[in-house]
Amino acid sequence: MSAAEGQAFADFVTELTKTTQELGPFDKEKSRRALGIVENVLTSPRLRWLMGMDRQLTQRENVFHEKLDEGRYRELMRGVVENEYQKALLLDALGDGPLSVREMASATGLPVYTVSMRLGELEKSGRADLHSYEGKTPRFLKVAA
Amino acid sequence: MNDSHEPKMLAFLCNWCSYAGADLAGVSRFQYPPTVRVLRTMCSGRVDSLHMIEGLKSGFDSVLVFG
Amino acid sequence: MMGNSESKTVTGAVMVVGGGIAGTQAALDAAEQGFYVYLVEKAPSIGGMMAQLDKTFPTNDCSMCILSPKLVESGRHLNIELLTMSEVDRIEGDAGNFSVTVRERPRYVDFEKCIACGICSEKCPRKVDDEFNMGLNKRKAAYVMYPQAVPLKYLIDGENCIYFQKGKCKACEKYCPAGAVDLGQKEKTHTINVGAIILAAGSKVFDPSVLDTYGYGGHPNIVTSLEFERILSASGPFEGHLVRPSDRKECKRIAWLQCVGSRDTHEGSHTYCSGVCCTYAIKEAVIAREHAKDSLDAAIFYMDMRTYGKDFERYYNRAKNEMGVRFIRSRVHSVGPERLGSPDLRIDYVDEKGSVLSETFDLVVLSQGLEAPADIAEMAKRLQIDLDASKFVQTSSLAPVETSRPGIFVCGFVAGPKDIPSSVIDASAASGACAALLSPARGTLTNEKTYPPEDPVVNDAPKVGVFVCHCGLNIASVVDVPAVREYARNLPGVAYVADNLFTCSQDTQKLIREAIKEHGLNRVVVAACTPRTHEPLFQETIREAGINRYLFEMANIRDQDSWVHQNEPEKATQKAKDLLRMAVAKVALLEPLERMRAELNQGALIVGGGVSGMTAALNLAEQGFKTYLLESAGELGGNALKLKHTWKGESVPEFLGGLRERVMSHPLIEVQLHAGIKSIQGFVGQFITTAEVAGVPRQFEHGVVIIASGAEAYKPKEYLYGKSDRVVLWHELEELFEKDPRKLEEAKSVVFIQCVGSREPDRPYCSKICCTASVKEAIELKERKPDLQIYVLYRDLRTYGLREELYTKARSLGIMFIRFPVDEKPVVETVRENGKELLSITVRDHVLDRPVRITADYLKLATAIVPKGEKELAGFLNIPLNQDGFFLEAHMKLRPVEFAVDGIFLCGLAHYPKPLDESIAQAKAAAAKAAGVLSRPYIEVEPVVSSVNKDDCTGCGLCEKACPFGAIRRHEIAGKGLRAESIAASCKGCGVCAAACPQKAIDIVHFRDTQIVAAIRAGGESA
Repeated sequence: MSAAEGQAFADFVTELTKTTQELGPFDKEKSRRALGIVENVLTSPRLRWLMGMDRQLTQRENVFHEKLDEGRYRELMRGVVENEYQKALLLDALGDGPLSVREMASATGLPVYTVSMRLGELEKSGRADLHSYEGKTPRFLKVAA
Repeated sequence: MNDSHEPKMLAFLCNWCSYAGADLAGVSRFQYPPTVRVLRTMCSGRVDSLHMIEGLKSGFDSVLVFG
Repeated sequence: MMGNSESKTVTGAVMVVGGGIAGTQAALDAAEQGFYVYLVEKAPSIGGMMAQLDKTFPTNDCSMCILSPKLVESGRHLNIELLTMSEVDRIEGDAGNFSVTVRERPRYVDFEKCIACGICSEKCPRKVDDEFNMGLNKRKAAYVMYPQAVPLKYLIDGENCIYFQKGKCKACEKYCPAGAVDLGQKEKTHTINVGAIILAAGSKVFDPSVLDTYGYGGHPNIVTSLEFERILSASGPFEGHLVRPSDRKECKRIAWLQCVGSRDTHEGSHTYCSGVCCTYAIKEAVIAREHAKDSLDAAIFYMDMRTYGKDFERYYNRAKNEMGVRFIRSRVHSVGPERLGSPDLRIDYVDEKGSVLSETFDLVVLSQGLEAPADIAEMAKRLQIDLDASKFVQTSSLAPVETSRPGIFVCGFVAGPKDIPSSVIDASAASGACAALLSPARGTLTNEKTYPPEDPVVNDAPKVGVFVCHCGLNIASVVDVPAVREYARNLPGVAYVADNLFTCSQDTQKLIREAIKEHGLNRVVVAACTPRTHEPLFQETIREAGINRYLFEMANIRDQDSWVHQNEPEKATQKAKDLLRMAVAKVALLEPLERMRAELNQGALIVGGGVSGMTAALNLAEQGFKTYLLESAGELGGNALKLKHTWKGESVPEFLGGLRERVMSHPLIEVQLHAGIKSIQGFVGQFITTAEVAGVPRQFEHGVVIIASGAEAYKPKEYLYGKSDRVVLWHELEELFEKDPRKLEEAKSVVFIQCVGSREPDRPYCSKICCTASVKEAIELKERKPDLQIYVLYRDLRTYGLREELYTKARSLGIMFIRFPVDEKPVVETVRENGKELLSITVRDHVLDRPVRITADYLKLATAIVPKGEKELAGFLNIPLNQDGFFLEAHMKLRPVEFAVDGIFLCGLAHYPKPLDESIAQAKAAAAKAAGVLSRPYIEVEPVVSSVNKDDCTGCGLCEKACPFGAIRRHEIAGKGLRAESIAASCKGCGVCAAACPQKAIDIVHFRDTQIVAAIRAGGESA
């Protein structure tokens, strides 16, 4: 928006007020957990790195002299956000105590395959670890940062 | 309009463009709902996505960023 | 011409005569360019007529709010000396070295001792008409002109004082707690040496009582427009309530009568157009409706609606289509009481079709014209300068700010009708002309500002002072100001609260400083208007009181609150409290900062080599600054190459030849033709422009940029243009007749169509120059060939200001003017007559109310002046274009040649269509502003920049990659590897790096994470 668009500003606010009204009041207490998850996603180094590289990747080029077009950059971004969001969901679920892969899947609504993929990544980066076995089922625990 | 709920919104405005635009709306007396609380930054690039989450955590119903 | 070779010494001081907006601006600009200024004002305070206005057109800004910072600044400027109640008596000497005798009338109050407590006024028993409020109420004989007056010093009006009339009273002297009253004061005479003089004597409103048509003076509810401004004003006689004088009844029906004393051949009237009345009447109507919450019938009776300036037409359209203001094209026959003794008024008028009609109103406002000051003839004699036939100071279109006497310059209305932006442009231009004359003495008589040391109180716990502004009624009519003030009292860290009528006025600055001292405040919040215009003023004030200027925050409760939530006062008050709470939360966490100094390249780059660009270049070069002049075409001159004469008749080719010669031969100007700009990088003081000059890449380093890139004529598709050779544009007709004079000899009839492509839905602006150009050309043709039939088909004839004389002359020569409405445009067809193919033009005559068919040999189309599409240039410099594609200046009223971004200036058609004289004035103004920057020893850089926490930085380099300005770089730190470092001079404080840093190791000073989060959290709470 430019400095010359007074009318546009008024229109945006009117429009977005309506949208917000339709969404209803935001209950910060109920959403506390969800917000924590999103916050975790947004602080993830990988996502921040990718955001920071926007200009470099799309307007200049990377070390291999490759340049991404806007579309590919957005696609890449979406992939990373999804991945980070899934990991944040898992970490959030693990916050309540050790869980098995299946329990994590039902707590987060993610497919079992996805859970085990992300769990592997979390283990690699040292943010989750094997806690114990319940019978033959391994249970995992969040590692404090 | 349904006035059962008057939302409260946080808006980040850039000093050079959208904040000036919002001032111009005032000068021109364009009326709009009294729902936004404006935070001025020197550029919308200053707005970290975490600030937006902070807005929701602090009690706003939505957060807007104008570039 | 002053060259560097000239060894004559000149005096580095300037005298400005007249302290209205033009004089004040001229004084500020001359001081900024390194000259000591004496500002001589006849009245007890500066401010002039603008101080009396309620709002200004077309921005609807509160007049006092935008004027006050300028008055305060000149009042406390170290290099401006105010001489109020003073008049110039005699001028001796020549350009460069004048000796001026100034007479100062006694104030009867000691300037140094007066504390402006107002007790003298309270105790004074004598009441007289208050001329500031146009006599609508009374003031005392001991008084101050208005509450925000600069200087804020009382005076005793000797003409009305009882002591001076009867020899006793002295109540003021007895009660004055400061012992400031001195009834024995005598007139003083000062002799002052200056190098140049700027005359800015302003104007006088026309007195309608000399005309009996309007019944002015005979009925209290017939008021003038300036009286109405005072009625609208919150600080006026009725405190901004829209009531009429006779019975204080709320007005429900108001009429404005245009052209009172203007465009009128009656004895006592003026034949010229005053140039400002159409626009101020629309503004008054719109503001009155705003006051009355729309339940007001506002009707404007007019002849031609002259909304010719930037964004004026848009305002007119909004008033008509959205605000419900009625516009009645008519001739008013008489105005008088509805019945004998009735407070209501009846207007009898004849409408366009000749019907006699009448309507009744509660109040009638006479849109009085303006004229030269009453004492202008005598003043001209004393100053030895020439006046024109209308008693305005004589100037030429080619030297619009120069009087007939070298070294005496002129600006504002005293040189002819003009509005505030034009007066401000003239003022800057006049200051630039002085600077060119006096450049060898720049800085020889000026002083450097020093501040008291900063108080170490910043390290104490926050003690915040909160000042809530009423802004007259601008805020207070919607927001409950006392409630906001009381709310602030209980906010964390707040130690003092106050509310003020105008927080920006000079007396309030004093109150703020006193409150800081008395209550030991270490931080200040002002809840008022926008920090974009007023933050520097308050920062300066607190700095003078010993607080670091960055321990300050504003809450915008006017532009972004009271003005946009006019019908929801409670919610607006709630919002004001929230915004104030956010500001208080942020200010508590702010840190003291120091401004940084950056190097300044003392060169200028000018984009565009038309008259504007060349004029600016020459002025800067004469001031001693290196200038690069880049022109995309193969020669200098631009649109002026096609002009023959100005409207006053001066030869343009002759002028252009001289100007080009001076530009080409000046050693400090480097002209680059066939130049295309590829990029502009850097910032004020240090720009680097890359351009391709005649195919060769070049680079220029410079400290400022002036945009003078021009505009062009619209090529129409309508009216058979391009299909018939007989349909031509602009200068093509002149060229046609020049090439083949037989064509003119054989022609029987020529038609002009106005507003082709202008004032249309997709181009809703007036191109300003076309009416004058067509009328001038019609006269030239008629004089060459008196039997030629000439028709001008127009929508509103806009020969504004003194140009009206052309319109009068054209009609007396028998040129026919036929008005057509926008939805009934003329129809142009080709016809064969006597074996010749001619044009047939059909238009509905508004007087006869039936279609008229004209057979014409030639049709000239006055097409719109359109911007060149400078998106790229705007992008390089990060400056805005308006909706029409012209560059958008920092403020349409008071900063007409600047941008919000420092070091970039604007002039000529790139700003808006305008005639040659206005382009020249604007070019000089832009040069003067640029010189103000270039004459500084260095550039002060705002310390709002990135800062890196080296302990958290991992040297990843993301910030470096994210920064759009190359303002953050990594350096090797021994034993640690790479660490980021901010380059303050290049940093714009945008914060992209901070948002990108994965470690959150970067913060933006003054917009730190903690500070932003504190404000967010405070905003989220509920009051």
